[in-house]
This record gives sequence, structure tokens and C-alpha cells, in this order.
Amino acid sequence: MANPAWKQERPGESRTKQRFAWFWSEYSVIIAFLIIFVVAALLNPRFLDMNNQLNILMQVSIIGIVALGMTIVMLSGGIDLSVGSVLALVGVVSILSLNATESIPVAIITAFAVGAFAGLLNGLMVAKGKIASFIATLGMMAGARSIALYTADGGSISSEITGFTTIANSELWIIDYPIIIFLVMTGLVYVLMHKTRFGRYVYAIGSNEKAALLSTIRVDRVKIGVYSLAGLLVSVAAIIESSRLNSISSSSSGQAYELDAIAAVIIGGTRMTGGRGKVLGTFFGVLILGILNNMMNLMNVSPHLQGFVKGLIIIVAVVFQKRE
Amino acid sequence: MTSNYLLEMNNIEKAFNQVSVLKKVGICLEKGEIHALLGENGAGKSTLMNILGGVFPADRGTIKINGEAVNITTPRMAQNYGISFIHQELNVVADLKVYENMFLGSELRSRTGFLKVEEMCQRTREVLADLGVEIDPKVYVRELDTSYKQLIEIAKALLHKSNIIIMDEPTTALTEHEVYRLFGLMKKLKTSNVSIIYISHKLKEIQEICDHYTVLRDGKVVGTGRVAEQNLESITKLMVGKSVSEERFAQTHPHGAELLRVKELTSPDLFKKIGFTLHAGEILGFTGLAGDGRTELFESIFGFRKNYTGEIKVKDQSVQITHPKKALQAGIGFVPKDRKENAIIKDLSVYDNMSLSSLGHFERRGFIQQKQEKARFEYYKKQLNIKVHDPKVTIDKLSGGNQQKVVLAKWLEVDTPILVFDNPTQGIDVGAKREIYQHIVRLAQQGKGIIILSSEAPEILKICHHINVMFQGEITARFTRDQASEDEIMKYATGSKREVEQIG
Repeated sequence: MANPAWKQERPGESRTKQRFAWFWSEYSVIIAFLIIFVVAALLNPRFLDMNNQLNILMQVSIIGIVALGMTIVMLSGGIDLSVGSVLALVGVVSILSLNATESIPVAIITAFAVGAFAGLLNGLMVAKGKIASFIATLGMMAGARSIALYTADGGSISSEITGFTTIANSELWIIDYPIIIFLVMTGLVYVLMHKTRFGRYVYAIGSNEKAALLSTIRVDRVKIGVYSLAGLLVSVAAIIESSRLNSISSSSSGQAYELDAIAAVIIGGTRMTGGRGKVLGTFFGVLILGILNNMMNLMNVSPHLQGFVKGLIIIVAVVFQKRE
Repeated sequence: MTSNYLLEMNNIEKAFNQVSVLKKVGICLEKGEIHALLGENGAGKSTLMNILGGVFPADRGTIKINGEAVNITTPRMAQNYGISFIHQELNVVADLKVYENMFLGSELRSRTGFLKVEEMCQRTREVLADLGVEIDPKVYVRELDTSYKQLIEIAKALLHKSNIIIMDEPTTALTEHEVYRLFGLMKKLKTSNVSIIYISHKLKEIQEICDHYTVLRDGKVVGTGRVAEQNLESITKLMVGKSVSEERFAQTHPHGAELLRVKELTSPDLFKKIGFTLHAGEILGFTGLAGDGRTELFESIFGFRKNYTGEIKVKDQSVQITHPKKALQAGIGFVPKDRKENAIIKDLSVYDNMSLSSLGHFERRGFIQQKQEKARFEYYKKQLNIKVHDPKVTIDKLSGGNQQKVVLAKWLEVDTPILVFDNPTQGIDVGAKREIYQHIVRLAQQGKGIIILSSEAPEILKICHHINVMFQGEITARFTRDQASEDEIMKYATGSKREVEQIG
């Protein structure tokens, strides 16, 4: 008769095996990234081309910034389905304010205000209203999209100010601004989550909300902060998105971004129920999705089939993470 | 001879985490008897019954039913052997109807796979009628009283033709009237040759309803026999034992100024008119049985629960505590019970768990200084004798005792003048228990006000200066350490005796 598997430190177990298990559980996403990277390079020589590499980074930067916010939300034990819709709404409102005031700083501040406000509402619903985050942000998803559509009369809004496009279409040396913004944001969120009190609290809440509260953490305030921050990151993404094309579509911009962002977070090893995961994991999760897209384009895979591959990768990633 | 017994459990042994919980325990059950299984919390009653119910296997020992050795590995097998386990927390699904609950998992179906609703209702009605009650089988269970919910569990046991029914403290949630109804029912079952193992703390009930008794203490059988041949006094003595509480930790030292005063604290259905005071250097104990409201009382004082009225004064200042953070600011710390659910963050490292409530101590310009965290942890590691190879591992890799020490370190780092411990030695081994007691006593010597909540009377007697006994949300007695004995405490905790006087 077997004893129940009681968790304990087992110094007797072979060190190397433990080390490997630890490495695997912490960095499996990096290993997966390296494998996919090498396979891609072998399959198509054009993949390694510097321009192609930068292209991949450019393409993932918007989703990447959104996914950073999603990581924080999911680490806290929640989910944010409203990111795509809020992105469209932020884009529409900020371009309207840009055209009205002819001032880029005003447009940017407007974007931050709208994104953070939408996030704040999400946070209030979840923390104070005790509404499940899935439901609260589902409501926000429908609501924000609807307001964007109404404001823009269902169509696109273009900026009339020259200079707005420089935000997303300039480069430093050979690196595009969006890439730089994505990298900087990753660094900031990394520091926030791993080096500050806020980050520690988010992990604690996601892991065990009751114990966090009994440890005298202001759970409500931290949660409101989490969703507001996610909204703020969405507005950064929205500015890049609308600046890149000099316009934003109230109907198609940001469509299904929440799914890509969640996919990147999950591939990056963050647990659905929160408390466990890493910002760097999400970073590599985003890159994996980017490489897959790029590879399939280079190999002329039908765009209709690309979703299938993406779905497969997500499921495989989660199955592997289960084997901790 | 042996064939007389319906059930025999012999030499059962069980250890969790290398801590032995049952040592060569045996129990014999005759046909149609009610057998009381007695013992204090942690004596091993639930473990023994969980083995019988197939929840987990024994390490060693035999189980015989009707003289035949059986091997019960799943709850389902236990059911097939005619064993039903009625847990303290009722296992009925409130959102299903009565008959659906009765047949849950063994629904009657027609050959085409559809449910035979009418037949199930009919059988439900019959069984309930046998028990002497009339409930519409199509009523939702959530609409019934607690005692009726319990009845449904019993009816379910009968439906499965169980001849051994285990009842784990079935009367805690019942009113007096409902208790009598339950007893009537049990007597009826007895006449139809069903045997009942009855777990309870309430000795008066035992005397009234049970035929035989078996007493467990510290995982061993310390007495068994006919209830009629024993008086309550001697059974209580058996339960409590003499050797356990000999060692006393608390020192007599002068108590300082008043730290905490609670007046007329009341929360509907949880506790009423609670009043007490705590002085610097004092260790104040609260004890009672399950459902006495002590945990809820201190969760309210700590700001985790908000629905209460009354006054809390810390150092003569009236405080409004609406959140645990405010309790901390007022100077109250709280080490909760059920470590896994309430105290540890299992995905965070040992370091992070230690510093979680006092991150301000480790911050510089808004960033956490991990070096300082480490240094501080090393200090506590030495002081509390925490055994851990690498504090970077998540806390759930540690043994219970070491986890508890990390939680203790967390609150020592917060350094509040008042510290409340709820069941501080739950699920930890004897050695670690001693160490925790010693630290608690040392804290009191340093002038902190300490409150201990525990269901284990020996523990309270060991370390507390003053003892409050609670029963159903009220303080029924207060003792100083020298006045108190386990028997006395037990009498007030079970409600068989109460002091009306209000002190302080």
C-alpha cells in the first residue's frame, strides 16, 4: 500500500535530475523557442536574414505589449478579454483628439487616460463588484467596441496631422521604434513584477488570495492597479497601431488580440489560475508566435491554416507544462 | 466468538509524513449496536474512520467484515461492503432535489438510458417513511433544515443497504429538538440490525445513546467497554489522560499595561457579547469545540470579517478595523489556522513568504532589496531553527513544522505588540510543537500580548496564563491557569456546564 505522495525535500534524489527538472520547469519556453528558431532556420534560409528577424520583432511588438499587461492580469488570477476592443477605442478617441487639438502630446495623454480608465473600470468591477474577471472584461469587450464603432460611425478614422506616423515608422539605427518600445516595456514590467512590492503582491494574490488578504495585503487596491496597468499598456499598443497606419479602424483594429495575447502568456508558462509565471516567459511566448507566423508565410502555408498550427502549439505547450 | 462481530479492525497503523497517527489501533463492532468512538482532537478518530471508509489506506493492519478479511481501497468499495460515512460537513448537493441526492451516482435508468424518476421518488418515499418522516422527494435540498439534510444522508445509507454507518459529530449543527429526532432514528436503526459508529465530544449524548465505547488518545486505544458500566468522569479521564499536560511552559512573570480590550463584540450567528482584556506579557487562551466561534471572533477582530458590532480598544484607543492592514497598523498580528489555505503562499519562495507582510522593511527607493531579505531570513532561520536547504524553493516543499516557523518569522518581522495564534501547532510533529511553544512563551516574556486559539485543551493548559472556554459563540467560562483542568474545560466546552457571571 502506497503512502500518499507527501511533498518534502528529498536530498537523496539525484542532484542532476533535480537540476534538470528545475531548469525545465523554469525555462522550458526558452528551450522551445530555441528549437523552433533552429527548425525555422533549417527550413528556410531566408528566415535568418536580418531584415526578416527585425520584421518578426516589428510584427509582434503590438501584441507583445498587450501580452505584457495580460501577463500581469493572469498572474493575479484574472483574465482580460477587453484588450482588443479597448485598443480600438483608445485609437479612435486619441486620433479624434489629435485632429481636434493638432497636438501629438495631447493625443498621447488622451490615449493613456482612456486606456487606464477602461482598465480602472475593469478593476473596480472585479475587485469591488466581485464580478468574475471573465464576465467583467467580456462586458467591457462588448462595450468598448460598441463605443468605438459609434464614435467612428463604424468606419476608420485617419490622422490629419503629419508627424503622427513618425512614432511607429522611425528607426534608431536599423531598429524600428515599436521594437524599442516593446523591449523597454518588457524591461519595465520585468522590474515591476520581480523587484517591487506591487509585483510580489500580484503573485501572492494569484497564488492564494485569502492568505494574501490575511497577510495584510490590500487585495482590492492591488487588483485595481493590475487592470489599470493592463489598460495603460493597451494604450501604448494603441498609439503604435494607429501611428503605424496613420489611422485606426473601429471595426477591425484589435480584433482577436485578446486571444493572441492570452496564447502568448500561456505558451510563456504562466498558469491560468495565477500565481505562477514569468514576464520573460511571455516575451519568448510572443516571439514563438511571431516566428510561427513568419515561417508559415515564408513557406506559403495558407493563411486559413495558420490558426490551426497556432492552436496546436498552444495545446502542446500546455501539455508539456503540466508535466512539472 | 469472533463471528459475533460485524466489523473488526485490528492493529491498524498509519503515519503521515513520518508522524505516526495510529499505533496498533483496533475496534470491534457488534451487530445492531451504537459504538462511541471518543478522543480529543488529533487523537486519530477521523484517520481511523477514513481508513474504514476507504478514503486512504492503512499502512498496516487488518479489517474484517462478518469475519472475512477485506481490503478497502476506495470509498466506493466501502459502500459495497455496506459502510456509509456521514461526515461532519454534510455531503448533499443543495441544488439537486431530494431524490436526486438519494440516488446520486447510482441512478435508476430504463433500458433506453432515461432516468426512472417516478420509481426513484417512490423508493425515496419508502425509505423516508421507514425513518418516520415525510418529505416530498421533489423538493430541492437547499430548502430543507440542516437536520433534514442529515436525514437524507442517513436515508441514503439505508438505500444502499448499509449495515455500518459512521457518524462524525452529527449533532454539532443541530438544535436540541433535532438531536432528539436523530436519536430516535438511531434507536430505530439499531432494532433493524444496523450498527453505528458514533463520533462525538458530547459525553452526555454518548451516555444516552451508545452501548459500547472506545477511547483513543495520541493514536492509541486507551480504553474500551460498555458505556453503562462506566461513569462520565472516568471516560473523560481516559480521553484527557494524565501524562499529556504535565509539562508546562508558561512562566509566571508580572503582566504589564493593558494592550487590548474587547467589549460586547457580537456578530449574528457567529458569536455574541464577547468581552475580554489582554495585558502585555500575558498569554490568553481560547478553547472550545468545533463551531464555538473563536476563529470567527478573531478573524473579525483582525478585520477579515466585517459584519460585527461592539468595541475594540488597543492601548486605550478605540479602533475601527475594516481590513487586516488596519489591524496591523493598530498593532494586531494574526497567525491563522489551516496553514495551507490561509497562511502560506505556496508558489512563493521561503524568503518571499517571510517578508510578505513587511516588505516596507526591505525596500529602498521602491525596489525590494533581496540581500536584506536573505540576511533577515538567516537571522530567523537560526533563531527559530528552520530547516531548509535552499530558501529559494517554494514554501510547500518544506515540512509542516518548518512552514509554520516561516509563518511565525513573517509575523515576528512585522513585530506587532499583540499576536494572535489560531491553532499554531496544527499538523506538525511533537518536536516542532515544543519549539513553537517555547517561542510563544519567549515573546510573552518580551512583553508582547499573546492570544492562543486551540481546540486542544492540553495545549492551552501548557502555555496560557488565562483561559477562556467558548461554546456556541459565547464565553462560558474563564479560568486562571491554576484553576483549570482538562475535565473542567471539557464540561464548559460541551455546554454541559456554564458560568453566567460576566467578568471584566
